[in-house]
Amino acid sequence: MQSVLSVLDQEPIRFFVSFGVILFLVLNLAAVLTMAERKVAGYIQLRYGPNRVGPRGLLQPLADVFKLFTKENVSPNRADMWIFLAAPIAMFIPAALAWIIIPFSPSAVVADLNVGILFFVGITSIGALGVIMAGYGSRSTFSLLGALRGAAQLISYEVPMILSLLGVVMLTGSLSLVEVVQAQGGGFWNWYFLPQLPMFFVFYIAGLAEVKRVPFDLPEGESEIVGGFMVEYSGMTWALMQAAEFASLALISAMSVTLFLGGWQPPIEALDLGNFNWAWFGLKTALITFTFQWIRWSVPRLRMDQLMNLGWKILVPLCLVWLFVTAGLMLVFPSLGQ
Amino acid sequence: MALAMPEGDLQTRLDRYLTGFRNGHGLEESVIEGSAVKLVVRPEIITAVMATARERLGVRHLSFITVVDRRGSFEVNYELLDLRGARVNVKTVIEGEEPVIDTITSVYPSANWHEREAYDMFGVAFKGHPDMRRIYMWQDHFDHHPLLKSFEISTKRTFEGLR
Amino acid sequence: MLSEERHVEPSDQSALTQPAAGRLVSPDIRDEFGLETLDMNMGPQHPAMHGLLRLILELDGETVVRCDPVMGYLHRCQEKIAENRMYPAVIPLTDRLDYFANMHNEHGYCLAVEDLLGVEIPPRAEYIRVLMCELMRLASHIPSVGFLMLELGAFTPILYSFRERERIQTIFEAVTGARMMFHYIRIGGVKADLPEDIPQKIWDYIESLESNFQRDFVDFIQGNEIFISRTRGIAKMTQEKAIEMGVTGPGLRGTGVDFDIRRDYPYSIYPELDFDVITDTEGDVAASYRVRIAECLQSIRMIKQCLEKMPEGEVMGDTGRRIRPAEGEGFGRVESPRGEYTVHVVSDGTDIPYRVHYRDPSFCNMQLLQEMVPGHYLPDIMPIMGLVDPVSGGWDK
Repeated sequence: MQSVLSVLDQEPIRFFVSFGVILFLVLNLAAVLTMAERKVAGYIQLRYGPNRVGPRGLLQPLADVFKLFTKENVSPNRADMWIFLAAPIAMFIPAALAWIIIPFSPSAVVADLNVGILFFVGITSIGALGVIMAGYGSRSTFSLLGALRGAAQLISYEVPMILSLLGVVMLTGSLSLVEVVQAQGGGFWNWYFLPQLPMFFVFYIAGLAEVKRVPFDLPEGESEIVGGFMVEYSGMTWALMQAAEFASLALISAMSVTLFLGGWQPPIEALDLGNFNWAWFGLKTALITFTFQWIRWSVPRLRMDQLMNLGWKILVPLCLVWLFVTAGLMLVFPSLGQ
Repeated sequence: MALAMPEGDLQTRLDRYLTGFRNGHGLEESVIEGSAVKLVVRPEIITAVMATARERLGVRHLSFITVVDRRGSFEVNYELLDLRGARVNVKTVIEGEEPVIDTITSVYPSANWHEREAYDMFGVAFKGHPDMRRIYMWQDHFDHHPLLKSFEISTKRTFEGLR
Repeated sequence: MLSEERHVEPSDQSALTQPAAGRLVSPDIRDEFGLETLDMNMGPQHPAMHGLLRLILELDGETVVRCDPVMGYLHRCQEKIAENRMYPAVIPLTDRLDYFANMHNEHGYCLAVEDLLGVEIPPRAEYIRVLMCELMRLASHIPSVGFLMLELGAFTPILYSFRERERIQTIFEAVTGARMMFHYIRIGGVKADLPEDIPQKIWDYIESLESNFQRDFVDFIQGNEIFISRTRGIAKMTQEKAIEMGVTGPGLRGTGVDFDIRRDYPYSIYPELDFDVITDTEGDVAASYRVRIAECLQSIRMIKQCLEKMPEGEVMGDTGRRIRPAEGEGFGRVESPRGEYTVHVVSDGTDIPYRVHYRDPSFCNMQLLQEMVPGHYLPDIMPIMGLVDPVSGGWDK
């Protein structure tokens, strides 16, 4: 037993095994989150949500997956098949890949990169490519509009998102996510969401926009462009896109927890669970994910020009101002930078 | 910016409308019935009568246009409201199987779709209409006007050129 | 059928036949880079279109430069069917017109035939009719608000509003036996008296609605910053323009024209009821929403008055065994939730109507789309649809 574990702990093997585990987790996450979303929607909207398959409807994701697997994959006649079929993959891979840098607990991180935040920013930007491929490959007007909106939105909101990360990087002095979390130990008053509150809001809002959720679901735009870039997809290609959406939703939640809410750190020292501290991480991530869903079922959608106004005229200046404030405070109180 | 609503009580307004129409045009019939001024005019002057109603008398709202197929002639009813209780009902009769009448869209822009509907359902053509297309029925290959009395419900519909 | 000399050429001023080039938002860019507009077909199978409407759009970026509504996908030629049925047998057809305000359709048709017949309606029947119509108005206005939110991308308010509609439908079911296609208002009165416990049930329901109304449909929606920014200034029109386009109902009252058939062309017992005509000054989508919300409260007021004043007595007037009006014309004009709904019945002295014409507010208000949509962004079409609030069965007859 011990020897098996030690073999697994050796480098290339450890990486592949843990990456497999992450992939498994992400794929299942999509199913679980679909279920959670529908249940949350149900309770917000005075109905039950799925409650037929299994106890309290808990086996619904299984039924969904089974349905999607057996569904025919319909594609438009004029579609550019290579791009059309590659798009869901191009969306899913970055969403899944970014998970390898998320520290679940001090020891449970697939790759503790010393440029973790940079990796996160770089790899999630590729997601925009998938959106454009999907919209262009389908060759339908609705898809095209959705893709153009998606490209504009994702690229614009990268800017406030990256800027909002810089405050944390300045405070920590490191791009490694493990070190970011370790710097936040010792109780919830040490978490970065307090000194970096505006940055946390900006990251949260930009994250909402990055994962294309209400009120920023313009690329999908259910009521005017009927699903936007994914309107022509069906069956497993569609499911893969959905999985990518949910994986990136959970990814953004996990990132905001890691960067601003102390990652695996318990709120107070007394609640330290030792090796089980990943439970704190999971709990906080679930909470953030729930707020995403709460927002989704409560507010209407912004318009494109309003979206751009919010991004460029409010979020970016706010970030820049707070960067200067942070820098100034660090200059005055050198102890902040540790 | 607020719109001036017609003044005075119902009866004086009705009288005013009636004299206004009588002075301006040669009417075939004109009476006051209840809260309505009922006119029968010749089809040639319909646009002028409508212009009088809107521009001079301030009857602003076109309620609807009804065409009635009288088997050999078409009766076109224009119902106008002054928004304060008075109605103006203008009736005109077009003779013949293939009726043409002047459009009133230049006076009441909202007549646009009402006239398209009348054209679609009865084949009444409106001269000078900006957009005289069928509104409900098929644009191509369907050469019937379903509300004509000669169009029986059991008529076998034909789509010329399609089969 | 259309001979050569009768073929009418569209005049040159037509906004529809002209290329949209003159109205582009950025014509110079188009010249420089050879950019073109994008033609887009919205509907008839579109999840957010009210029923089966097809819009042919021309887009310049996200800006609509041309909007051409195409109708007829639900056309049943109701008017032709009505010409082949006896007078009472037309009532169930009118239910299928504007299927969100069935009571008003029936009421309008019955008023028209009663106008022809000159028959006396028992007062209790009049009160029941108005009671039902006002409940119907609630059941139509509240989901309209929900639809507006749905089109803006918020899914939850529609379910809140359908909860209320559901409860009203339960009342209708108890009264008429049907949930949507009632066939309840008859020529000369109503089909049956109210069941004994229904007035109390309506009262209880109205009380509960009143207590929840502010929370569910005003605070939840009107307090939302995104809702305000999406609807304020959209489809803003002057009073002149609104009347010119033939708009009636909340859209017109939103511009400030206080025109309400219930007050200005009174029918039934509306002169005896105490209610206000709601107007707003802005004339945009938000204004029509506010008018709808305030009208719901007025409907609640009227329902209470109806229940309090309801006289005893018969519910069916004496129309004779066969309904055979003399030759002539009858008009029935009611204020449906969407605006002026008028039925024009022409009789030739037989027991089959010679011609029935419906002036449906959905149809007439829809002309607004052609005029108002160009110049707005593509996503703004949806709130404008929320202002017009058309129903497929209504515009397609």
